[in-house]
Amino acid sequence: MSKNKRIVVTGLGTKNAIGGDVAQFAAALRQGVCGISELDLFDTSEFLTHKGGQVKNFNPRRCIPKEFSLKRMSRADQLSYAATMEALTDAELYPLPESIKEYTGVAIGGGAGGLFEAENFYADLLSKGFGRSRFSRLSAIYCASSADRIASNLGLLGPKITLMTACSAGATALGLARDLILNGQARLMLAGGVEPMCRITYAAFNALKSVDEDVCRPFARNRAGLSLGEASAILVLEPLESALDRGAKIHGEILGYGVTCDSFHMTSPDEKASGAVRAMQAALKDSGLAVEDIDYINAHGTATPVNDVTETRAIKEVFGKRAYSIPVSSTKSMHAHTLGASGALEGIVSLLALAHGFIPPTIHCVERDPECDLDYVTEGARPADLRFVLSNSFAFGGNNTTVIFGKYEGRGAAHG
Amino acid sequence: MDKNCEISDHERIVVTGLGMVTPLGVGKDEFSRRLFEGDCAIDTVQTFDTRAVTSHLGAEVRDFTPRDFISVKNLRRMDKTSSMATASARLALDDAGIAVTPENRDRIGLLLGTAFGATDVTVQFAGTLLSEGSSSVNPILVPNTVMNAPAGHASIELGFRGVNTTVTHFAVSAETAIAYAVSELRRGVADVLLSGGVDILSKFCYECLTKFHGLSPDNGGQEGAHPFDVERNGYVAGEGCGILCLETLAKARERGAKIYCEIVGAGLGSSPSGPTAWSQDTEGIKRTIQRALRNSGVKLKDVSAVMAAANGGRVLDQVETRAYQELFASREHKPLITSIKGAIGESFSGGGIRACALALSVKKGCLPPTIGLSRPIVPMDFVIGKKKIMNGNQTVLAGISFGGTYAYLVFSSFNH
Repeated sequence: MSKNKRIVVTGLGTKNAIGGDVAQFAAALRQGVCGISELDLFDTSEFLTHKGGQVKNFNPRRCIPKEFSLKRMSRADQLSYAATMEALTDAELYPLPESIKEYTGVAIGGGAGGLFEAENFYADLLSKGFGRSRFSRLSAIYCASSADRIASNLGLLGPKITLMTACSAGATALGLARDLILNGQARLMLAGGVEPMCRITYAAFNALKSVDEDVCRPFARNRAGLSLGEASAILVLEPLESALDRGAKIHGEILGYGVTCDSFHMTSPDEKASGAVRAMQAALKDSGLAVEDIDYINAHGTATPVNDVTETRAIKEVFGKRAYSIPVSSTKSMHAHTLGASGALEGIVSLLALAHGFIPPTIHCVERDPECDLDYVTEGARPADLRFVLSNSFAFGGNNTTVIFGKYEGRGAAHG
Repeated sequence: MDKNCEISDHERIVVTGLGMVTPLGVGKDEFSRRLFEGDCAIDTVQTFDTRAVTSHLGAEVRDFTPRDFISVKNLRRMDKTSSMATASARLALDDAGIAVTPENRDRIGLLLGTAFGATDVTVQFAGTLLSEGSSSVNPILVPNTVMNAPAGHASIELGFRGVNTTVTHFAVSAETAIAYAVSELRRGVADVLLSGGVDILSKFCYECLTKFHGLSPDNGGQEGAHPFDVERNGYVAGEGCGILCLETLAKARERGAKIYCEIVGAGLGSSPSGPTAWSQDTEGIKRTIQRALRNSGVKLKDVSAVMAAANGGRVLDQVETRAYQELFASREHKPLITSIKGAIGESFSGGGIRACALALSVKKGCLPPTIGLSRPIVPMDFVIGKKKIMNGNQTVLAGISFGGTYAYLVFSSFNH
């Protein structure tokens, strides 16, 4: 693997609760907009909670070219495809030149996939029996379908991988995509994550009693759980030379990532936080950076009672005294926890923070948990000239991924 | 990066252990004996009722006692995919002679592929939710509905804490996971990576496959698996798990490990295709195999055997045959071709088991027969009837999926 090649991000696209596109998302992050509200995607009356970070007013036909049929696409497919179109347009790569298709690939962190549509199928199956259920609804049930639709519609001939490590999948997809370029499997990668809201996921988190019935309050004394969200986030990755050759606008650089496992419990983090500590250390090592270099930490910060103290402890273990002078924020307080998409969505947050020179806030954290004693940027967004940003994503199964992004300075640098 | 002549032992990846739970037996010895004897594991499905559909055959895992491999405490929390993956991972580590200790556990990891995950658990969860309401769902089921559950459970039971990732891409899930593992080892982020795939037969999955016109006897005739045969009429569904223990040659040498073979490279690629459809075009296969060979520094003329993806499906087998015909057209000595899916069925992430079969083949210098093949579509050097000696050192594992995704791996014999 050629370690001296630099991989940069030249396109961004997203649909999430506070941003119908990247420009709107950047503005909302700066203003501290809350996207957590009553869901209208399905009836929540039978659930304990009713709120979430839903992508409202999503009209797929408006963002997906007419030549592509929406009929066999799930909500997840449509959300990710819409983000892909925005990212490619942002990278000035749409329509994609023929010459680059052979070496263009897709790496997506998945979550519920087509479960939203499959629910209707399951309901049919239960009420009408096997012979009468409509199987066409199932064609997009699995998460790999989103990458398939993107690659097939755009005529891509490169690698195609779907990561399924729950809440760290989107982050791992970014790291893997970088490696696929570094080891010659691809020259351009569309990488990111997608998570649709659906009743099955909503019911699962309700059953685990890990959802706050109001809005999530990361690092706050009265935090009671997470807020579920949905999103798609797609990034265009390419080597620095090719970005410069074609005069592309550069949002920032993917410097390194680390993946570890708690080997402790399926749904609770190891309280010693060893897995999280090792993930951050592995990412620093991969990036060739020291603890002094990190200017901002985009926390996993789900607002569950256990995550926020554990993550705080982990940050202190990795950064020592310096932990107290690094701003840490959880943007999940605004866009909610978007599970499989979150690592990629927060990758976009990190790159926007670097390019636009600000630290997005942690909202809803009014009274801080005494055990959470770092600088959580609770008073609103803060202007800051950032060089290196570290983003954490921890998941069920004990999967931890940390990605580090760098500001790109030089010809082609994007500015806010 | 295409391989050049000078490559250090830290970048050479070898297979040092094999673990599997398959329809042809549990563990390397029984699997190997039955595979090379030409045994067939296809039989009438016993674990669920198939009367609602037109297919009745399957390749089921029988005689697997999870208790022999997994502690009672952890087993209670596991679903079937998790117990198969955990047992296989243990068998692979044991075969490699590796004990997980506090000193090495952070450098041992697992990269697992699964096409569908725990379909039995997901359906049970969705069924309760939709028929009895959200207050009746069982929170115990939740952790096992995520696709990374098997890798998470395996890490908890076996204690390794390094890189842990689950990937999915339908029928190339396992091959993709192995390619990723090779890349991670070369990157130096782990000393030992377990890698392969797991999928199970569930009633739900089986019934869906009949609806997608995959299973034999899809177009009439007698039910059975006949890869590459003129009378093939669909595949027979299978299940199981196969896991390789991979490490760098440097590490394997250091501890004096036995070596099955070397994985010299991989190629990943795509072709545009409709949802759930098998691509009709041979270019995707040819392009990806060439990519894998280039990545491996192996010449097409040196390929002595192909562990094919053919499963008895009408389109897949035809396209794969044509691709190899075109690819090897100019060669005087054609490579041997075999597919073991006539013996173990199609389990989608069966690439893990097939990788184990290829590693054994390379070590033994002979290939197992294609069970169910008597009259080939076209005359090629298929392994028919009984095992066949192969000449040469370079072999290829083919991964082809519906949806137009390809993952090829190159396995070479290892000479000390």
